[in-house]
Amino acid sequence: MKVASKGHSLFRIDNTRRVWFSNSQDKIDILETNSKAETRFMVSPSWPDTLNLTLVSPDSRTVFSLIIINKAGGLIYNKTFHEGGLNKISTNDYLVLAGTFHGVHAITARLNPVKPVAPPPTPGTNEPPNRPEPSSGLEVLETENFRMQCFNTLTGTKFLLFTETTQTNVDVTIKRIYDLYADYVMKNPFYSLEMPIRCDIFDRKLLSYIREINNR
Amino acid sequence: MSSLPSSASTGKESGLRVPSNGKTIYHRPINRTKTSELSQASFAFLFSEMVAYAQKRVKGIQELEHKLNVQGHSIGIKLLDLLLYREPARTQLRPQNIVALLHFIKQNVWLHLFGRQADRLEKSTDAEKPDEYMIIDNEPLVNQYISVPREMSQLNCAAFVAGVVEGVCDGADFPARVTAHTVGEGEMWPGKTVFLVKFRSEVVEREAFLAKS
Amino acid sequence: MVVYSFYIFDRHTECVYVKSWMPPQVPGTPAPVLSTGSDNAKLIFGTVFSLRNMVRKLGGDDDAFISYRTGQYKLHFYETPANLRFVMITDTGSASMRNVLHQIYINLWVEYVVKNPLAPVEHKGGAGVNNELFELGLDQFIRGLM
Repeated sequence: MKVASKGHSLFRIDNTRRVWFSNSQDKIDILETNSKAETRFMVSPSWPDTLNLTLVSPDSRTVFSLIIINKAGGLIYNKTFHEGGLNKISTNDYLVLAGTFHGVHAITARLNPVKPVAPPPTPGTNEPPNRPEPSSGLEVLETENFRMQCFNTLTGTKFLLFTETTQTNVDVTIKRIYDLYADYVMKNPFYSLEMPIRCDIFDRKLLSYIREINNR
Repeated sequence: MSSLPSSASTGKESGLRVPSNGKTIYHRPINRTKTSELSQASFAFLFSEMVAYAQKRVKGIQELEHKLNVQGHSIGIKLLDLLLYREPARTQLRPQNIVALLHFIKQNVWLHLFGRQADRLEKSTDAEKPDEYMIIDNEPLVNQYISVPREMSQLNCAAFVAGVVEGVCDGADFPARVTAHTVGEGEMWPGKTVFLVKFRSEVVEREAFLAKS
Repeated sequence: MVVYSFYIFDRHTECVYVKSWMPPQVPGTPAPVLSTGSDNAKLIFGTVFSLRNMVRKLGGDDDAFISYRTGQYKLHFYETPANLRFVMITDTGSASMRNVLHQIYINLWVEYVVKNPLAPVEHKGGAGVNNELFELGLDQFIRGLM
């Protein structure tokens, strides 16, 4: 059995406190777990020493920031929830970033190596031929320090959520943010479409929702 | 209508047909489902358009609030009739003093419009203003999705509801001026709204006279 | 796992190597059409270049762009210290290909291109990269993955 380096091997822990590795039949017993989410493993006697593996604790999930880009590629919302997650950059840089991403998103949709094929028309009917499902653009971007998920609404507004690399359930989070947007931005008579979002209630609801996730 | 055979026989009767049990269509809520729920989203969009429409044709915040007030006023007058009509026959009386009227608004009107009662009813503590009463709503339904921009912080879109209240008061023959004011209460109730009901002097006079007799 | 295509860009941003693999046809479905024009290489370079800059700006200079995924494919990126860039496009289900790209760099690029006395220092138009050993090694390595 090989454990290449700590934190890189896939494993799960069952309820008998035994560790199973996804790429082999080997299993090891847990000796102790300390408060820093480090778990010491004792491998069978044939293994000379104890290993220290750092488990990526499932609680350490942080949403760094949110960006909303309108359908023309303009930045309409930008909020940082957690300092230190991402570099601080100026508003101007954010505007450039939004524009760049908008273009990149369109190109990534074009780069689809497998050209979409239209589903065959239903036989016996005179319906026009089905259209192929359009290629989606970039959905998830992974880097060493963060993870970015992009949700593109049917009308072309993009929600970019920056989180920690290990974040889970981002789909749910981003959908909920879209809900909040639909409620507190779109139903606000003082909001003009495609313009920067300045809605107190949206800010408040968004902050309390993200705080709930970050403190969990 | 000539094709309908019944029209000939009932030709002499008036156009309003009342069923034998006396209950007309006005006794029933429009929505037949048990909870009689309407889509809040559609209302929110409609109200949003109403505010945007009013905003296009005004110069200041006061004028905008006045427009919203007028939009609500006629609803109030009609609502008073409808709600009294739906009351059981014995209590089918219009409120005859200020407190009864305000209770009617706080309970019946609010329950019908927003599905809950208003949060509080207060009389002005200022001895010089015996004509002022306050209906307090911690979270007006109409404002739920509305963020008022900073430069218009004086505005409260619940002026529309104030219009409805004013309509009810006017319809019950208690002419009054009703205005909506935001009095945010910290994190808990940031949108707390006070509806200031200022009755006309003759209403207070009449009230005092009736109390004596 | 399916690997669709593989690109190498040199430090002058020129595409020096392209290779694509037809995905195996699933019976009963129409044959997928692979699109790998020369324009594609330019588009891919533009995309990874923009994303890499964006990632560095946000995540700090030590951050590196690893991959992105759309609904239809996944693009993996690996950059060597000498600004040589490896790009691999696979289906969406595949795990991180960072190690694979790293392996290609050490075991194939360094062995068969860098150490090849006949290969020029600059690979203009792909000169020196398209040698038999590299091609064969790469093809075998990728087919081994699929």
